[in-house]
Amino acid sequence: MKATLTGLLYLLLLLMGTHFISFVPPKAYTAAEALRNVRAEFHAALAKLDQTAAAYEATAYAFVKGEANVEALQKAHTQTRLAYKSIEFLLEYNDREAVKKYLNGPPLLSVEPKVPEVRIIEPVGLQVLDELVYSEDPKVEQEEILRLARQFNKDFSKVKAFQEGVVLQHRFVFEAFRYQLVRIFTLGLTGFDTPGSAAALPEARQSLEGAAQALMAYFPLLEQIGPQLATDCRLELGSAIAALSQPSDFNSFRRLQFLKKHLNPLLKLSLEAQKALEVELLHEITDRPQAWNYEAENLFSDEFLNPSYYTNLSDAAQSEERIALGRMLFYDPILSANNERSCASCHHPDKAFTDGLPKSMALNGEGSIQRNAPTLINSVYAEHYFYDLREPNLERQVKHVVRDEKEFNTDFLEIVDKLKQSGAYRSLFAKAYPEHPQYQISKWSISNALACYVADLASFNSPFDQYVRGEREAIAAEVERGFDLFMGKANCGTCHFAPAFNGTVPPYFQESESEVLGVPAAAQGPDSFVLDPDPGRFASYKPIDQAPFYLHSFKTVTVRNAALTAPYMHNGIYRSLEEVVDFYNKGGGAGMGIDVPYQTLPDTPLELSAQEVQDLVAFMESLTDTTGMTAVPEELPAFETHPEWNKRRVGGTY
Amino acid sequence: MKKVVLSLLLSSMCALFVSAQATIFSEEIEIPEGYVIDDLLMPPSPLSLQVLFVGGVDLVQTTPTYGYEAGVAYAKEWHDFIGFTPDETGESLGWVSVNHEMIYQDNRIGDGGGMTVFRVERDPVSGQLEVVEQELEDGRKGEFFNVDFVNTVGETGMNCGGISSIVDGRIWTAEEWFRSNNGSIYNGGFSSPTSSGGYPKSPGGAENQGVRDTSAYLISSDIEGFDGLEVAKYENFNWMVEIDPRQAKAVRKQYNWGRQGFEGGVVAADNQTVYLGVDATPAFWAKFVADEPGDFTKGKTYIYKHDAPEKWLEVDNTDPEKMLNFADQAVELGGTMYNRVEWVAIDASSGKIYWTETGRDRPGSRWADENAAGAVHDPYHINRAIEKGIDSPNASEYPDYYGRVWVYDPAIDSNYVFLEGGPDWDEETSPSEADYFTKHLSNPDGLNVMMIDGQPFLVICEDLNGTSYGRMPAGISNRTCELWLLDLSIEQPTVDDLIRITAVPRGAEITGAMPTPDGKSLLVNSQHPNSNNPFPFNHSLTFAIHGFDEVTVTSLEEPQFESASQLQIFPNPTTRTVYLSEMTDLAVYNAEGQRLKVFRNTNQIDVSNLPAGMYFLQTAEGETKKLIVK
Repeated sequence: MKATLTGLLYLLLLLMGTHFISFVPPKAYTAAEALRNVRAEFHAALAKLDQTAAAYEATAYAFVKGEANVEALQKAHTQTRLAYKSIEFLLEYNDREAVKKYLNGPPLLSVEPKVPEVRIIEPVGLQVLDELVYSEDPKVEQEEILRLARQFNKDFSKVKAFQEGVVLQHRFVFEAFRYQLVRIFTLGLTGFDTPGSAAALPEARQSLEGAAQALMAYFPLLEQIGPQLATDCRLELGSAIAALSQPSDFNSFRRLQFLKKHLNPLLKLSLEAQKALEVELLHEITDRPQAWNYEAENLFSDEFLNPSYYTNLSDAAQSEERIALGRMLFYDPILSANNERSCASCHHPDKAFTDGLPKSMALNGEGSIQRNAPTLINSVYAEHYFYDLREPNLERQVKHVVRDEKEFNTDFLEIVDKLKQSGAYRSLFAKAYPEHPQYQISKWSISNALACYVADLASFNSPFDQYVRGEREAIAAEVERGFDLFMGKANCGTCHFAPAFNGTVPPYFQESESEVLGVPAAAQGPDSFVLDPDPGRFASYKPIDQAPFYLHSFKTVTVRNAALTAPYMHNGIYRSLEEVVDFYNKGGGAGMGIDVPYQTLPDTPLELSAQEVQDLVAFMESLTDTTGMTAVPEELPAFETHPEWNKRRVGGTY
Repeated sequence: MKKVVLSLLLSSMCALFVSAQATIFSEEIEIPEGYVIDDLLMPPSPLSLQVLFVGGVDLVQTTPTYGYEAGVAYAKEWHDFIGFTPDETGESLGWVSVNHEMIYQDNRIGDGGGMTVFRVERDPVSGQLEVVEQELEDGRKGEFFNVDFVNTVGETGMNCGGISSIVDGRIWTAEEWFRSNNGSIYNGGFSSPTSSGGYPKSPGGAENQGVRDTSAYLISSDIEGFDGLEVAKYENFNWMVEIDPRQAKAVRKQYNWGRQGFEGGVVAADNQTVYLGVDATPAFWAKFVADEPGDFTKGKTYIYKHDAPEKWLEVDNTDPEKMLNFADQAVELGGTMYNRVEWVAIDASSGKIYWTETGRDRPGSRWADENAAGAVHDPYHINRAIEKGIDSPNASEYPDYYGRVWVYDPAIDSNYVFLEGGPDWDEETSPSEADYFTKHLSNPDGLNVMMIDGQPFLVICEDLNGTSYGRMPAGISNRTCELWLLDLSIEQPTVDDLIRITAVPRGAEITGAMPTPDGKSLLVNSQHPNSNNPFPFNHSLTFAIHGFDEVTVTSLEEPQFESASQLQIFPNPTTRTVYLSEMTDLAVYNAEGQRLKVFRNTNQIDVSNLPAGMYFLQTAEGETKKLIVK
């Protein structure tokens, strides 16, 4: 009750517009002044973080000397994290690489990007400290804590010097605010960067307040242009901060309600404010495609993520004709050596483009291919394709299938040769690729058409999405509980990131993650205590993946349509979602007692009750949507000179 | 509503501190009544693009290889060097040779790297190049031909740079991919995965990488000391290899030039002296002098040592042991060390040799041992270390992020730095796109000399080692390597003198720049592109930039603005850049007055992506101009 009162008081202060804005805004308050105020506040906050970092180091030193207790250490840690969180939005916006590398990167080993050799980077920064300072006995790690606190203090002074030199622009404030909204919901509130302290809620509040403060510097201007919009913005900020100030703990925080009532409205209002103030939008600055459409108003809008960013194809290049041709090719076994297998052989539309088998059947029925067939719906939203992340380009994904002896076992010369013999195909290709007469039926056009089709298999229209967007009145209570668990206690959302619920990392959605889970070789029997031998990403054959911690690491696939994609995991050992949740509930392979070096999944049990497992499954089942994607072509193009080919079956013989 | 913003705008201008980044441009253009708008004309660019050869999609004619019949295959990709062999008969313009910098097994093309050659002629009416159908002596017919290495001199790997002789268009290809054992020419030399088996076939991956036949190689050669010699298979890699572009086959591996991770070289005008660049740290600067002009099978091989009385020290090139272990010889002789020497180019008018030192972030540990064993540092690197307050170039903290361009002047028999890379940015994380440098030269790699308007220009291609230390704006993971021109008449040039050629597809990594002998076109390769360019620019490809015969020196230079109170704006059709006389903020509006683009804190804007049409430019100071883009 007391907290609610505080929240209301807070709201009132916000409405009066005096709490945050300590400057005097009367007369001719200008945009330039707004920006100067943002800058002044930012520099003050940088100085504050600098002080807390120094104090943190001093406390860590005292802790080692036995002159400070654990509580003092944790307090210094919390103060530093909160000081960081209040300017996270701008620190990240101005220099995300430095934040990841020095300030708040994940507590995992990584490899130096963009260098030809494997250079392993040891993590440093506040996330690593969060784990240690809140471990069972921080005393054990006191030297490491001191080293990291000292390093943070040193690194931050360099970061600060750079950040102070950044010349801010109006759009930075709006963009940084909106990125921060996505970051708060998809990462902060899931506990992504507070693995030890679990202080996700107070930190989310702090970071929203910090970002809001910058935005509010523009409100006096907004008042003059659109008083109603200004009021809406103030109210919404106040109520969102109030919601984060409520006395709920990490597990009981109602994330779905926060998403619907606060997060999405803020995403929309902040964009409206930017437009009303005529601050330039991202597309006026850069021609580079963006992974998320900056002008999307809802995190669960079907236009939030931008397929053309991932395909490297412009929207115009993904024409209806190409998609339709790609669909025809997808179902046509003429692409395989024996004219019996098509893409649809392992990707059945009625199973969300999977095949129901633990591992897909190989050509001629001789055994199985290496891994479980993943869903193709929403698969486009990734930096790399395949479980081992070996292929960065969707257009080139199909060549792996074409060449594989266990899949199509052929080459494009043969495929081109065959397709050219069909008048119907010739005309389909001519319509789809009129501007490239020389390459009309070519390795490229075939690959491109298939990529256009797969990129078009996007689904953000499940009952859950509709509810989030307000297009559906209600959703089952267990679904809501399941989502809150997924994004909270059950730790799913820290790897299966919203809104695609896959491993594409927000808020930039540019990088695909893989994880070491320790999946055993079988669900039952003696092999259930043995790690599956598949080396995963380590054997992607990219030199950069030849790091020991990529052994048995697999791409994090989407949870969308999971109700249709059983069996699960890269080796298909689990037949139901309950079994999958049970695996995670035990802490993965390591939690089950298997020796899994570098497991990235925490090996501590989640302690989910039977009801909670059911709720999670109910939530995942609410993500089913294959609308408009399941229709199979009625017939395939004919071959005039090969009547025997015309007997081939749509989707292949098997 | 517009009025409010306008008043805000005006008041912000009147503010005591006018912050350059603080003006908000209205979404619809505001032009005060009575304001006279000047027109600016951006004529059409004299430069145009033509795609010639698309990797991975175009088919090449192959010879019988590994027991497979002659036929066709998809051309290899990762285009790098381009050689041009003028056609003395006048029947066509000449032959184009393209390197494929990859290591890829292929039953028809052959394992390892490779080359593709084709013949071009210029259409007298359209000015376009046309790829000519040919029939070769070995019976192959078609447009694109795979260079046969397998049946001639043995496979090659990672064909990167090369030599295109300015004397007669003879072509050599370089094999940068330095190997030191047989295990590393097959399966890529990466650590072996666990023994669980069943890996997917992975085109381009390690399983599909390298050279499957690792049996000892019996050399057949007209070079003294090598004929009949049996070497380990890996030792038959990393030579300069001459090819015959007319017949699409290799001629000889240049065993007498030493075995190194070669990247580039030039043949001097005497047709006797060859200068060689090696992509390694340390890299030694080497030359070969033929006994007779044009016969490179006999001659002497030398290492450069700046502090020796005779700067060139001979290595006996009839001794296979010494040629096979060339770098050891260089260390023993105390040769001068550089940090990744890549391409070498010659200015025929002055005889000066230009070469790129690409740089490596922290070379210290790479050459400290060699230094201890007798090899020496160029005084440039020693002085540079001292200037940075570092003991020596051997120190682990000695940085060399961006590299530079050097000159070797035969007249004074010495190397000196011509153009330094940069500007320096000492933070590992880069400035954001909004604060990024107008020009930044990082890791120059490809190099050539081109005559434009009767004057020699250096053509420089970047090959970024990474995105850190300011090489790319922060948060942009795709490396964009730029194509620069530099007027060679400028003494002591700096990065500011570079001219960016924007007539290349966005995001493409440009290599291999090679002018055609008629001076009309520049042939360039786009290597493994990673951007959303439409087909075919999403593949490695060779294309021509036409129209250099219409480019004048003044049309490439940045305008020299006279000091005046008023802002001056100058559109340059060749570089597709609008130059402003001072730093400001600027918005571009379409003909209907709707805002399209906003630029902050700049004095030049790239309009290469603006379709032809009429636009308004408005600066933060309220100056408005009409820009007509043709």
